[in-house]
Amino acid sequence: MNIELTDLTRTFGRNRAVDGVTLTAETGVFGLLGPNGAGKTSLLRMLATVLPPSEGQVRLLGRNPKNVGERREIRRRLGYLPQNLGYYPAFTVVEFIEYFALLKEMPAKQVPKAVAAAVEKVDLGPKAKARLRTLSGGMLRRVGIAQAIVNDPELLLLDEPTAGLDPEQRVAFRALMRDLGQRGTVIVSTHLVEDVGAACSEVALMSDGKIVFRGTPAELTARGADHGVGDAPLERGYSAILAAARA
Amino acid sequence: MTAVAPASAGRLLRIEIKRSAAVWALPLLAALFLYDPFRTASGYPAVWDVRASVVPNKMLSYFIPFTAAFAAWAGSREGRRRMADLVTSTAWPAWARQAAAFTATAALFVLPFLAGVAALYIQTARVVTWGGPPLWPVAVSVVTLTAVCAVGFTAGALFPGRFTTTLVTVGVSFVELVTFQESVSQSGPLALALLSPSTAVPPTDSGVFYPDAPDLAIVQVMFMAGIAIAALGVLALFKARGARQARTTAIAVVAAAVALAGTAVGLAATATHGVSGWDIPALHDAASDRPIPYTPVCAGTGLRVCMHPAFSYYLDDTAADLAPVAAEIAGLPGAPARGEEVDSVALASTGGNGVITGNRPVYQFSMNTMLDLSGFQETNFREILQQDLLDAFVAPSAARNAGVSDTPSYAPAQQAVVIALMRAVGSRPTSNSPFAYNSPINAQVAMAADRFAALPPAARHAWLITHLAALRAGLVTLAGIP
Repeated sequence: MNIELTDLTRTFGRNRAVDGVTLTAETGVFGLLGPNGAGKTSLLRMLATVLPPSEGQVRLLGRNPKNVGERREIRRRLGYLPQNLGYYPAFTVVEFIEYFALLKEMPAKQVPKAVAAAVEKVDLGPKAKARLRTLSGGMLRRVGIAQAIVNDPELLLLDEPTAGLDPEQRVAFRALMRDLGQRGTVIVSTHLVEDVGAACSEVALMSDGKIVFRGTPAELTARGADHGVGDAPLERGYSAILAAARA
Repeated sequence: MTAVAPASAGRLLRIEIKRSAAVWALPLLAALFLYDPFRTASGYPAVWDVRASVVPNKMLSYFIPFTAAFAAWAGSREGRRRMADLVTSTAWPAWARQAAAFTATAALFVLPFLAGVAALYIQTARVVTWGGPPLWPVAVSVVTLTAVCAVGFTAGALFPGRFTTTLVTVGVSFVELVTFQESVSQSGPLALALLSPSTAVPPTDSGVFYPDAPDLAIVQVMFMAGIAIAALGVLALFKARGARQARTTAIAVVAAAVALAGTAVGLAATATHGVSGWDIPALHDAASDRPIPYTPVCAGTGLRVCMHPAFSYYLDDTAADLAPVAAEIAGLPGAPARGEEVDSVALASTGGNGVITGNRPVYQFSMNTMLDLSGFQETNFREILQQDLLDAFVAPSAARNAGVSDTPSYAPAQQAVVIALMRAVGSRPTSNSPFAYNSPINAQVAMAADRFAALPPAARHAWLITHLAALRAGLVTLAGIP
């Protein structure tokens, strides 16, 4: 298993952002759905080894991130796109991606080729030498995706990756996610259920820090069959499960 | 702490340097360098130690605020740009990532600083006639700059607020100002004053007759290195959360750095002033108290003037300027046949600005008097030289006191004679001389001087032959002057 979470809990003061989550994931694209404040971002941050859990066990790519050496091994194989992407405005697109390729300890000789490939995958070739300060929000998001995938990660964590992308780019990105899911585990946290339907082989729904549903998009759709809220079948499934969880 | 690949580190450093905001400060620093330190040094006497004094005193003063500001800006970058999660999820240890950003910032100030020093030294090398470039001021300045960078960077990284850069810049500049004043005035604790890299401009013949003792520079390097390492250690300590071994190493590094800086403070407190600068007993090498051997350069016919080769640029002027007054007193008892430049420290302890000694009288003088930066003007050079010789000849005991007292006890008649002899060779007493016409007594002195100067040279000479001993003893009154 690439991801093994056992009774994972993260508290901030009295607030239990993640509350006893137990989850496993293998190769493939895994969707993480949930309303605002459900705990998706906190869970992703723990998977990204940025936030230590308050309780519970985490094993990523067969390693324990509590151990410094193993954590470093995980991070070499990790790609992470946070919800709020920070960036250095003076860097060019290529420099920013190269910077992260180096921080991920890619062999220096492989970096230029990997950076060029990542730039092409997010279709930023014409803007490769542009300063980040000159890019639009959608382009910056693509830069964020490029830095996340530059090391061809075995574990890719994407927090709202398609926010700000235009429809054409969103379609292209879903294809990219499916491709990456062939070789590693991709966890996508999103509000956009159509992303899940189009790209994910599995989906989990979080509410109040807990996983309240886990299954395939088809199973999620099926749960909404008798539920009236939502325009699309997946949305109806999403709403039905949330309503049940709250009840 | 875990290592990082050198090739990756090099590439990362290249990106950091290329995109550092500090690059924008460099043109301004270059302009400031040319406007003040470079221009000031060009106006100083062509002696290595004196010209090199602008490195810690002026160049460093300009670089420090910029270094502190841009280091704080670079240090706070991850916090300001909300990059913490993204960079934390990468394999590079936080200390290595921060080290790359710090190294880039430090390099962007240290390397241009060294380029400025190189320009200054190349320009100096073209005009000096003796000796080599002093490297200790450069070492102290570079370590100081690194320490300022480390403090600024650490403050920025730990407190990445919007006002951090401003606060760090103001704070560092304030500390620099206070320590500079302390170092120049030495009014506070000696150790504090000495640990500041800024100094008063050294005597013109510093490092000429005796080697510069590196004692104080070593202590300053220790102190600044201690501050730099401690600041970076504190940063590593905070960035190594969760890594016990790294934290333990960071704590050990901080403790060692604090001990290093503390040792430097302790050593500075033991400093005493010697012939080769500040001596610190625990570090002092007795060899630096031995004079540097040299072969003097000489010129002049009536009064043969010999000087240290470091001042050979001034030899012909010195011999030419001393010749007329030497001729005025030639043949009189105790008149020197030779002039000799000596170490200013030794001269000050025995004979003020100039002294005539020996059975075959030799006039000993120091170029420090003539080229003292606080009062150096080309137009005064001749007058100061001539007056110091006449002072030493006419009023030897008062001249001796002049070096150690603000109110030397010249007798009015001695003053009048010196003024008259100066006028006889076409010179005026210098404005900073005790013979200046600025008090009631000097009005009477002036009248006596006018009378004596109006005498034919032979008459003056004849009077001096008979009255010189009484004049030197202060027994001649103004009325006794013809």
